[in-house]
Amino acid sequence: MAPPRRPPLAHALARHLGLVLVSVLLAVSVIGYCALYLATQARLPGMFELTSSLNNTMPLALAALAQTMVVLTRGLDLSIGGIIDLSNALAALYLGTTAASMALASALILLAGAVLGLVNGALVAYGRLQPILVTLATLAIFQGLAIRVLPQPGGAVPEAYTALLVNTGAPYALVYVLALMLFWTVLRRSQVGIALLAIGDDEAAAAANGIDPVATKLVAYTLSGLIAAAAGLFLAAQATAGDATTGNGYTLTSIVAVVLGGVSLFGGRGSGIGAILGAFVTTMIVNILFFAHIDPLYQSFYEGAFLVIAVVLAEGLGRLVRRRRARA
Amino acid sequence: MNDADERHAASLEAISVSKSFGGVRALHEASLRAFPGEVHALVGENGAGKSTLIKLLGGRLRADSGVIRHHGAAVALKTPDAAHRLGCWTVFQELTLLSAMSVAENLLLRREPRGAFGLTSERRLRQTAEAVFARFGIHDIDPGALVEDLPLADRQVIEIVRALSHDPDILLLDEPTSALMERETAWLFGEVRRLRDAGRTVVFTSHRWHEIAAIADRITVFRGGRDVGSFTTLGEDEAVTLMTGQRVETLYPPRPAAPASEAALTVADLAGGRLASASFSLHRGEILGVGGLAGHGHRELFLMLFGAMPRKAGRILRAGHEIRPRSPRQAIRAGIALVPEDRKTEGLLLPLSVRDNLTLAVLGRESRLGVLRRRRLRSVAAAMTTRLKVRMPDITSPVAALSGGNQQKILLGRWLLADCAVLLFYDVTRGVDVATKHEIYELMTALARDGRAILYYSSDAEELAHLAHRVLVLREGRIAAELPASGLNAEHIVAAAMRDQAAA
Amino acid sequence: MSGGGKRRRVLPGLSPTGRRVLYAYAATVLLFLLGGLVRPGFIQATNVLTILTVAMFVGLVAAGQSFVILIGGIDLSVPWVLNAAAILLTTSSGGENARAAAALALTLGMGALVGVANGIGVAVLGVPAVVMTLAMNGIMEGLTLGLSGGMTCSACASYAPPLVQGLAHGSLLGVPAPLWLWLAVIGLVSFLLQATVFGRATYAIGTNLRASELAGLRVRATVIALYGLSGVTAALAGIMLVGFGGQASLGMGEPYLFQSIAAVVIGGASILGGRGHYLGAVAGAICLVTLISVLLAMNMAEYGRSIIYGVIILVLLLLYGREARES
Repeated sequence: MAPPRRPPLAHALARHLGLVLVSVLLAVSVIGYCALYLATQARLPGMFELTSSLNNTMPLALAALAQTMVVLTRGLDLSIGGIIDLSNALAALYLGTTAASMALASALILLAGAVLGLVNGALVAYGRLQPILVTLATLAIFQGLAIRVLPQPGGAVPEAYTALLVNTGAPYALVYVLALMLFWTVLRRSQVGIALLAIGDDEAAAAANGIDPVATKLVAYTLSGLIAAAAGLFLAAQATAGDATTGNGYTLTSIVAVVLGGVSLFGGRGSGIGAILGAFVTTMIVNILFFAHIDPLYQSFYEGAFLVIAVVLAEGLGRLVRRRRARA
Repeated sequence: MNDADERHAASLEAISVSKSFGGVRALHEASLRAFPGEVHALVGENGAGKSTLIKLLGGRLRADSGVIRHHGAAVALKTPDAAHRLGCWTVFQELTLLSAMSVAENLLLRREPRGAFGLTSERRLRQTAEAVFARFGIHDIDPGALVEDLPLADRQVIEIVRALSHDPDILLLDEPTSALMERETAWLFGEVRRLRDAGRTVVFTSHRWHEIAAIADRITVFRGGRDVGSFTTLGEDEAVTLMTGQRVETLYPPRPAAPASEAALTVADLAGGRLASASFSLHRGEILGVGGLAGHGHRELFLMLFGAMPRKAGRILRAGHEIRPRSPRQAIRAGIALVPEDRKTEGLLLPLSVRDNLTLAVLGRESRLGVLRRRRLRSVAAAMTTRLKVRMPDITSPVAALSGGNQQKILLGRWLLADCAVLLFYDVTRGVDVATKHEIYELMTALARDGRAILYYSSDAEELAHLAHRVLVLREGRIAAELPASGLNAEHIVAAAMRDQAAA
Repeated sequence: MSGGGKRRRVLPGLSPTGRRVLYAYAATVLLFLLGGLVRPGFIQATNVLTILTVAMFVGLVAAGQSFVILIGGIDLSVPWVLNAAAILLTTSSGGENARAAAALALTLGMGALVGVANGIGVAVLGVPAVVMTLAMNGIMEGLTLGLSGGMTCSACASYAPPLVQGLAHGSLLGVPAPLWLWLAVIGLVSFLLQATVFGRATYAIGTNLRASELAGLRVRATVIALYGLSGVTAALAGIMLVGFGGQASLGMGEPYLFQSIAAVVIGGASILGGRGHYLGAVAGAICLVTLISVLLAMNMAEYGRSIIYGVIILVLLLLYGREARES
């Protein structure tokens, strides 16, 4: 009897269905955007549009990747917005003007983000508390700290810093996006990444295989805090000043991006690349709404409706693929 | 050989180990001594402590007291890794595969073949996994498939291969055969014998006596959290007496009298999922057995009859009237009840009280305008616990505090309260100990005598042969054979289930 | 942990949930005493009644949040349902008593409709509750902003009908009318959860959805109804809030998401479902609002309040968590 084997492509499609769907979604939304742009501006979007889209999306892409780390372990990090706030506020005050001071301050801010993430992780892993509640509480704490650091919007971000992170002249941000995707790819193929997915899939089973759930969760939340802090830095560079409330919206939009990116909120399934692409889909939708001359007041309505439709369609498609596989 | 020598020779020993969970004693000063070159069977009822002991030896749990020795040296098995380092690998009763990952990723978890920068790749994983499977003669499992897409038997095989592939010095198998069919069990026993002949130690548990008799060199019996004896030869009757502390006269109660001719349930060309087509009638007072290999449409048949899965085609007649159950609620209205395989996840609400669990299906009946008649709920629940002789602290205690057998009674009681005339029993005795099995059989035959119609799927052909009036054997989604009770035995059922496969 | 087998049991004879409810009430009393120390007059009847009235707004939203948390769900759409309700009431009534009844019905109906839509998304379409209600919050935000033209519409400046304002400010037997309303809600919710088939089904579904379905319970209908109720209570809170303040404003619902969830959790409910009681959430709401009042009385800055808020919730979570593991 010949062993039943499916072609590797069929397996890949089944495993990365979420990634495939978000790629299609991104392609469709980019095409839609270009078509609308062409219709209204009588030309195709160029380098400037590409650059600004990339730059605008970087903070969300980072926040989405941060959220992915936690969601993969079957958690939810509501404190991401708070960490972005704090990192943003610190950046506006302490970056300094020399290259050395900027590098040092950035490193320390990233470290602070990692430590805050570690606190979340410790509460979840050692305290065995529900992630959503822990991070709801730490969100309040981090937001409070951010306002303490920077009571009024202000401070300053040096031009050189902005030029480095948010260069408006050319789509350099593409490098950052690719670097993030590379980071995910490496992580996914490393022991740590496998452990992350494993404990989100089935914590007891992972533990029986010798994977340490406590250590893995600590790593997940620490990475989340670190990446969220990076989002705060990008946001500061973009605004060229600080605002201790600027990150608040990112908690929820990061969840939107993650869900669009095909990462399961039930843990164990999904890809950081999907989440990053999900962030870009979100940006594209805002762009489309803008060029479709939709009243910006209605923006959240369309985003919300789109989210539900996308999730329902993805769910339906997933079920269809699953049924076909089961029958075959 | 004197005692000191023997202790020295033992490869793995548990000496007076105890383990409690929240005040409940799972193991109490239990001991086990396993030697190189032997297959050591652990037998005992559910809750006797076998699985807890295996978890202690596998590094999943830590003992409250007692010593574990490996080749004479005391060891602390704090983690599964600690056990692995001693060459001790375990297949736990609850499978530990990660369902969203591929077979290859699971098989090679934490020892992925790594290339440049210590990174792994799917292709590399697949190839290595393929080679590992081939080494153990497994060719029909696709390493690239996701575990969640595989039937239970395949998952069990993967788990076993994973343990075998570490070339274990000591292999612990906790009920490895409960999900396996004849052919896979034969494969497993071949591997077990190979290990034994190479001087390794294999410890395993099973509820199937013929397996134990076939392969065990030594049998240790557990009862109530401790070992009550170790034997090189032991008869089944003696073993049951030791396990239960009492003599179970006959496991199987007499078959109830021939059923009435009146059909309680008639099924015509039912199809959906893996069930291609099934037609049969179930009569009042009949126990109609359903047998065959797992994954051939049994689950779909039961779920569709209960309205828990959409039908693709076919008609269902309940006492002559066509019904179209689109939800369990509608099926229950029509007097059909399902007792699922996994009472803990699909049947009972463990933290809720005995009363709440019993009355769950009759809340509508026992209420007025949506307001519960609480006194009445309490009294009907109390009456049912008396009728079924449920042993429990109190009617308000959580069902989780009851023993497995009593939990099963609560679930049955729920459907008796709902007055369901057709009972669908889906593999309710799988992994259940002898004494509880006996109680379930008694209940089932009593219900049939009472005039209820019972459709009964079991993965244990022996049971079907003893209890059922007729047995339908499902193969590839169709009824491959209908076997009458006269002269029925387990071999017939198994043969009918496998016939085509043997020919292929 | 330490101490081996000897476990000190606080208040034996009470379920863990019951004990947590008591803790929350005890914490409230302590906070009042602390407030009295910080500022004399804090424990005067008028101040206590004011605090309770403010707590009612949280408590109403927490009623709905309790319903959905009991089945392991969550309602993130609360802020903009509340806000939309407040604006819908003022704009549709135009501040006239004659149109008050119709406006109230319309507003509560809107809340129910939005909630039911959430429930259908969760129970029928299979969208995770976090995603569904998050999206719904956006949908309601967009609709509210868009339809009101960002609160620039001519009717947007309307006040709540005097009748509704009277309800929010009036009093009966020396007790503010909102508290009577709250008492009625407490009675109704407790009755629903404890004495009806619906309530029993709610706990069953929260404990094990699949088993509840296989036991013949109306799982989908119950889930949809629970989300519908959450929409209604959020709308009711919006009505009371606009009656209290007179006019609606944008963003007035924002604080109530965090506070409603916190109240339910402080009250001892399990976020995983199946365990909890509305009386706990009531205690949680009062406790939370008292805490804020004490901090305000201490002239604590906003950032300090936010931090202490978070810390207190963490401490309670750790306390409850420890207890759960011991039992």
